[in-house]
This record gives sequence, C-alpha cells and structure tokens, in this order.
Amino acid sequence: MGSREEILAKLRAAPKPFTDLPKRDTYLHMVPIADKSPAALRKRFAEEAKKLACEVSEPVSHTDAIQQILALFGENKSVIAWDFANIPLPGLADAFATAGIQIADVRDGSVRVGITGADAALASTGSLVVGSGPGKPRQASLLPALHIAVISPDQIITDLETWFDGQLAKGLQHFRSAAAHVVISGPSRTADIAMELVMGVHGPTRVHVVILP
Amino acid sequence: MKVESQNFIPAAQIAIRNPNIQEAVTTGTRNSYVKRNIAMSTPTLEHGEAMRMQAAEAKRRALRNLPDLLEKAEANMKANGITVEWAQTSQEVCKLVVDIAKKHNVHLVAKSKSMVTEEVALNDILEAEGMEVIETDLGEFIVQIGKTHPSHLLAPIIHMTKPEIRDLMVKELGMTPTDDAGEMTKFAQAHLRRYFLEADMGISGGNFILAETGSICLVTNEGNGRMCTTLPRVHIAVVGIEKVVESVKDYATLTQVLPRSGTGQVMTVYTHMINGPRQLGETDGPEHVYVILVDNGRTKIYDTDYAESLACIRCGACQNACPVYRSTGGLAYGWVYAGPIGAIVTPLLVGMENASPLPQASSLCGACKQVCPVNIDIPRMLLELRHDLVEQGETGKIWDIGIKFWAIGNKSPRLFQMGGSMARFGRKHVLKNNLPGPLGGWTDYRDFPNFAPKSFHQLWKERQAAKNSHNGGSNNG
Amino acid sequence: MAHHSERPSPKGKKVSLFVTCMIDMMYPETGMSVVNILEHLGIEVDFPMAQTCCGQPAYNSGYQNESKQVAIQFLKAFKDAEVIVTPSGSCAAMVLHEYPVLFEDDPQWKAEAERIVSITWEFTEFLVDGLGITDLKARLAQPTTFAFHDSCHGMRLLGLGQAARTLLGNVENATIAELNEHEVCCGFGGLFSVKMSDISGAMLQKKVNNINASDASTIITGDSSCLTQMNGGLSRKGSSKKVRHIADVLAEGLGGERK
Repeated sequence: MGSREEILAKLRAAPKPFTDLPKRDTYLHMVPIADKSPAALRKRFAEEAKKLACEVSEPVSHTDAIQQILALFGENKSVIAWDFANIPLPGLADAFATAGIQIADVRDGSVRVGITGADAALASTGSLVVGSGPGKPRQASLLPALHIAVISPDQIITDLETWFDGQLAKGLQHFRSAAAHVVISGPSRTADIAMELVMGVHGPTRVHVVILP
Repeated sequence: MKVESQNFIPAAQIAIRNPNIQEAVTTGTRNSYVKRNIAMSTPTLEHGEAMRMQAAEAKRRALRNLPDLLEKAEANMKANGITVEWAQTSQEVCKLVVDIAKKHNVHLVAKSKSMVTEEVALNDILEAEGMEVIETDLGEFIVQIGKTHPSHLLAPIIHMTKPEIRDLMVKELGMTPTDDAGEMTKFAQAHLRRYFLEADMGISGGNFILAETGSICLVTNEGNGRMCTTLPRVHIAVVGIEKVVESVKDYATLTQVLPRSGTGQVMTVYTHMINGPRQLGETDGPEHVYVILVDNGRTKIYDTDYAESLACIRCGACQNACPVYRSTGGLAYGWVYAGPIGAIVTPLLVGMENASPLPQASSLCGACKQVCPVNIDIPRMLLELRHDLVEQGETGKIWDIGIKFWAIGNKSPRLFQMGGSMARFGRKHVLKNNLPGPLGGWTDYRDFPNFAPKSFHQLWKERQAAKNSHNGGSNNG
Repeated sequence: MAHHSERPSPKGKKVSLFVTCMIDMMYPETGMSVVNILEHLGIEVDFPMAQTCCGQPAYNSGYQNESKQVAIQFLKAFKDAEVIVTPSGSCAAMVLHEYPVLFEDDPQWKAEAERIVSITWEFTEFLVDGLGITDLKARLAQPTTFAFHDSCHGMRLLGLGQAARTLLGNVENATIAELNEHEVCCGFGGLFSVKMSDISGAMLQKKVNNINASDASTIITGDSSCLTQMNGGLSRKGSSKKVRHIADVLAEGLGGERK
C-alpha cells in the first residue's frame, strides 16, 4: 500500500468527527452591503481601494483616461502588459505606440510599470480579481513597481462571495479554465520589521486603479 | 525542526528576562490583537461572531468528510494539470521534493513561507543535496540569515527588535546601517529580487486546498508567494492534509476571516488561487505544479478527541491574544508551533513525552478560543491534555502526592476545616511569608496574605449561635 | 447539560451560599458581605456546613479523579439546596461547565449533578439576571473611583461583567473608570501561578502596570483568586492601589443612607 492508500485508510478507520454538526443552508457574506446599486458600488469600491493605499482615478472620458495613464508612465518607455484586447480602454494601443511605449518581456525585472485590466472589482474590500491566461500575463500585476489596473464600472460587483456565485452560475469549469487567479487588495506590504508597516516589498509599491466612465 | 519543548520553563524564564524580546513581542502581539478585535466586530460584534461560527462549521464539515474530500481534491487537481503526491513522514516529504528537484535539474530554490516545511526541516535536506535555498518572506529571510527559527505563525521575527534586525542585516548582508524600516525592507527586496527571477523551483505551503475546484490557495502580503509560484519553472506546494476545504462558498468565508483574525486586514494583499501550470498561449506561470499532501502525524490526531485542532487555519490570532505567549514569545515553546495552538499540536505531533510542559503553559483564560476564527476550543483540549499527562505519569510525583492529600482534605468537611486551621497556624507561625515546597514560586513575584483568624465556617456557626440565643431559642443550653 | 442561560428562575427561593474554599479561609468577610446583601433583600440564606471546595484546582491540573471525589462532596453538601449562589465566577464556571463533563458517564451522580448545575448562580448574575435587581440603593461614604478587572472564567464562560457594572454603577459616590486591558488575564490560573511562576509573575507585572496607570484607586473583581494575585503584586511593588471584591463594596454601600 502506498502512502496515499495508507493515509486514506487511516482516516477512514477513525471515527468520523463532528457528526452532530447541523447542516448550513444560508451563507452570510463577510461584508454586508445594503446598497448594491451601480453608483453605490462604484463609490464604495473607490473608498475601500483608497483605504488599501491604492490610488484611484475616475477620468471623465476615454481620452482623459489615456492622458492619465500616460502621465503615470512619466519617463518610462516600457511596460509589462495584458494584451490590449483584455484592457477595456479603446485607443490605448495607439496611444502607447505614439508615446513610444514598448511592450516588454514578461520577465524583464528592469521594467517599472505594468498594466492590466481585471476580471472583476470587489466593492466590499476595494479588491481586484485578476485571472491569468493567454494575453493576461501574471507579471503585469506583480513584477513592476507600479501596477495600473483599468476597469470599467460594470465590472464592479459587491464582494468575493458574489464573484464566486457568478463562477458557480457559469459552471466551475470556467473558473478552472484559468491556470490561476489572484485577488489583489492594494500594494504589497510587510510589517515584519518590528511591526512597522512598510508599503512596497516584492510586489508593486503602487497600485493605480483607473475606473473608466 | 529539532524539538526542544521539554526546556519550555527555563527557556521562558530567559525570554522573560530579555528586554528585547519583551519589548518586541509585547508590542507586536498587542498591536495585532487590537486590530483583530476591530476587524472582527465590523460592522457589529454579532456579525463577526456569526462569521466565526460560519467558518468554524466549514472547517469541521471538511474534517468530517476529510478522506472523501482529499480524493475529490486530488481528482480535480489532477484534471487541472497538477501532479499530486502523498507523504506520511518527514522523510517522505523531503525525498519527494528532492526527487522532483533532481528530475527538473533544480539548483536554486525560492521558498515562500510554509510551516509544514519547517516541521520536516526541508531546507536542511535540500542544502545537503547541494541545492541553494533562499527564504523569500522577509521575516523568514531574516530567520534564515540569523540561523534561528520563526517564532510566530504570521510574523516570524516578532521577537526581534528593529536594532537587532538591523545589526543582523549589517553583519550578514553588508547592509549600510539604517534605522528606517522602509530602507531595510528596500535593501532586502533588492537583495532577493534576482532570486525570484533566477530560481528553478519555487516551494510554497498552502493555506487551503479547495476540493470543489482542485485549487491551491495561498495568502501573502509581500508578493513573494506569487513570485515563487509564477516565475520558476517548477512549483511545489507542501500542504498538510487538514487544509482541504469543501467548496468555494466555504473558501470565501475562510479566506476573509483569516486576515481579519491574523492582522486585522480585510483581505490579505494577494489572495491567490492556483489551478494548475501555465497553459498553451501563456507567457508566464510554472511549467509544472506539484502538491504534496502531508500526514506527518495528522492522521493520528484525527483519530483522537483532539481532531478539532486540525481545524486550525494558521492565522496566529491565538498567539496574539495569549497573555502567556505575550510574555514568553514563541521560541520558548521549542518547536514550529507556539502559543495556544502550539501547546496542543506540538505534543500531539511530536509525542507528549517530548513536550510535556506545553499543555501546562496556560492560565486557561480562554482568550484564544474567543479570537479563533474557527472557534477551536483550545482550553478544553488543554484540560484534556493535562488529564492525559496525569494518566501517563508525566506530571511529577510531588504533584501526584500533593493532589491526593488535597483530595483527602477536601472530601471530608471535618478535615477541610482542620486543614484550614493548620494552614492558618502554619502561615502565621512557621512559614511567614513563604508557601511550602512547590508552591514557593508564589512569593518570588508577589506577597501572600495571611489566612483569616476565623474561617467563614466558624463565623457562620457563631452567628447562628448568637441568633438562636438572641431568639431566646428553642436550642437552650 | 442545562446551559447557564436555561436555569429556572431563582426568585422566591431560599439561597444556599457556596462560599468557596478561598473565601472561607482567607476572606470570610466577603462571604458575610454576600449574606448581608441577600438578607437585606429579604432572601433567606443558609450555609451548608458540609461544603468544602468545588474541585477546580485539581481539575485544572488534569487530576480529574481527585477533582471528582471533591465534587461529589459538593453534591452531597448541597443536596437540599433550592438555589446555590457563589461569589466566584471561576467556581460557578467549574460547576456549570465542568460538572457536566465530570459526571457525564456517572450513573449514580449524573442526575444530581444536572440538578445542581440548574440551580447554581454566580453572585452578580444572580442579583441582576436571576432576580432582576439592578439597584441596591447603596451609597458609599466617600466618593471613590473604581475600575473593573474582568476575571477570565466568569467573563468568557459565563458572560459575566455587565451585571457587576450595572450594580456598581447604581451605587452613589461610585465612579467607574477604565482599566486598560481589563479583559486580559491577571496570571493566576490556579496552580499555573506556582508551576510557571515566572510567566505568572510576568503577566501580573503587566496587570499591575495597567492598574497603576488607571484613574481608579480601587479595582473591582468578582473572583478572590484574581484578587489575591493582583493584591499580591500591588503590595510587592508598593502600590497604593487595592483590589476589592464586588460583594464587599456593595455591602459597604448598604450601610450608607441614600439622600
């Protein structure tokens, strides 16, 4: 018998614990949110993201959005990026080309800006759900010091529980078709040195969320 | 990790007399405990308590169905492209990792924090095989260069002051001295960055294994966990079998109570769900993902009244709330798991005879149970373990005899009252300000009051007698 | 097990006092305070002389057999009791939470243990939750500022704390201030205080520091064990502050006349 069989056999030989546990039929959400209207969720998302030390901008037009993003680049001319098809901002590809911003190799540790869209934005905690896949490299939201995330307002949903409900509704095959997801809640940080909070460790030091109009 | 838990009492004494440890641990645990209380009573205490109960139910249900869920998790992980291995012992875990490393021609390993790998001393084995292993969690990195051990589930160097950390980094890494935590962090980040990009293999632990979807779930704040699991060619997750949870609904609850309970955060910065290796058309992600499901004593615990301890999600809340841990720090406990949960799982995993002081290291105040996100009844299990210690003869003859005499004296009302008189006499005339024998430790730190000149029994008797005679009594004479 | 919130109402019944071994031998005046308060409220009080100890010290050290032997004496001593009141959260918790465990598989004593569990009350919860009494119409001679130390077993196992605060809050001339970390253990923990005296001492030092930093001159507790630990530390460190039992302060206030 290999280890797998021995482990399972030992577990099955033991009396089942917690057999008198009552069945649960309703699940509470960690963060109860009363007003789920799009306007309220958008406002809540912006508030919560700022609490996480994200920068949040709400440009009034696509042109305005592109200007803001280019301004964030400053002197930087390279970026680790999701494919433009996965970023909900038309005209971005042309704007980068005009500005001379080149798409870098995903493993280029010298690149200082990453740009992505998102799978969803969670209002309850100001978090971004970022899945991986073709055209959605993981490093775009991890390796560079500045992560720019571009979201459209209809991507803002209530909370993680709601996001999973959506995945369940699609059949979990959809969730499983991506190799990985990460829920990003702000810039990287540590308090390992005498409990002093330091922003920016291995992941990005800045997360800038652009909420499109 | 070598077990040194039998030394708990002298080790605790040393820690208590070390002002650096006292300052660091007291501040660190107080800080996190206060933040936890705020996070778990938002919007109301009632809601926080309800979420705790929901999380508690999720873990217990998973434990009840553990073998079936493990099989389901394995099937789903395999379907997702993850290779699943099982290991019963420390040696097996290490051999599996070494074999995988050799198969993939691994020379440099980047590690994200994993307490299970501490249990099995994986780093030592890998290094003995000629590999270079680098810990990438900042606290674990400091532990590694300081050649010591992590002292807390979430904050490995909570026991070190900033000057101590600074001096270590100056000495071992050539850092320019600075007292700025931001500068120190930046130095460590720059030092470690190339390792992520150059490592052949990343090793992580696992906070949860999600059976319904076949996912490895990790929570980290620094980003090192994501880097270790996305940049190297190979990723191995070493995970205890008790980490399996049933459904995405359960996971959503647990992955939110964990950070609130551990650090007071609403979400850990990176809540990461890994389904498998990189797919066709992807430009990053590991080419190979392995999970090693580890027993190492967990099946034994499962078959006892202590199965509840397997519900632990390793959040550290109990360590932050525990006034004993706050005074001793984690290293005194002598093994991987310290504080309240450590006092239970250590003797269960390494043998009672190797950790007999640990179940005694508690005033049974119950703060741990109050803050545990899955409501583990740690005090109840400490009481049962103490009972086990007595049954196994691990408590010391002097207590066995002393308690027997105590029982004799307290079973009989007459002896009880006589004993009180003797104690009164002894305290006043013989022992003065000291208590006898093993009770003498009291006066090291506090004064002991005199016994009352008359016991309540006596006072009551006199009072009743006075009442009766006052009443002209039916009890004349 | 009769959860302590399911106990039948103790109104109108005779109270049998369980004074606790510690109060019996060291603080009998606290026992008398309880008697005085109850009799002042018109309650008949008796004191079964055969009582000794609830069995907690041995139980907490893992000596369940010895603890049970002493617990049986408790059951015997209180066999005629209608209601049991005790001025100790930890002793009440021993009866309410651990007697069901101790006597679970005991065909001879299980029923009696359950009966005892259903009639046992800690002193402050007896007054406020049991009888609905929140104001003893008491008045202290001197204005005094108090702060509460919440004893662990009573607070966490029995939900105590509010009842005592309500009662003291209604005493004229009593001001209630905050004690930082009032819910953190004082370090007594029974035999833990001597088995691991360094740790107990370190926990005590933090409590003493918090007490000294409080605006209160007097700390109030419902457990004589915590009181002994804290007063022992305060006097050792030469503090002017003292810890008193809630019953003693309330009884003292009964002597004063409300204006």
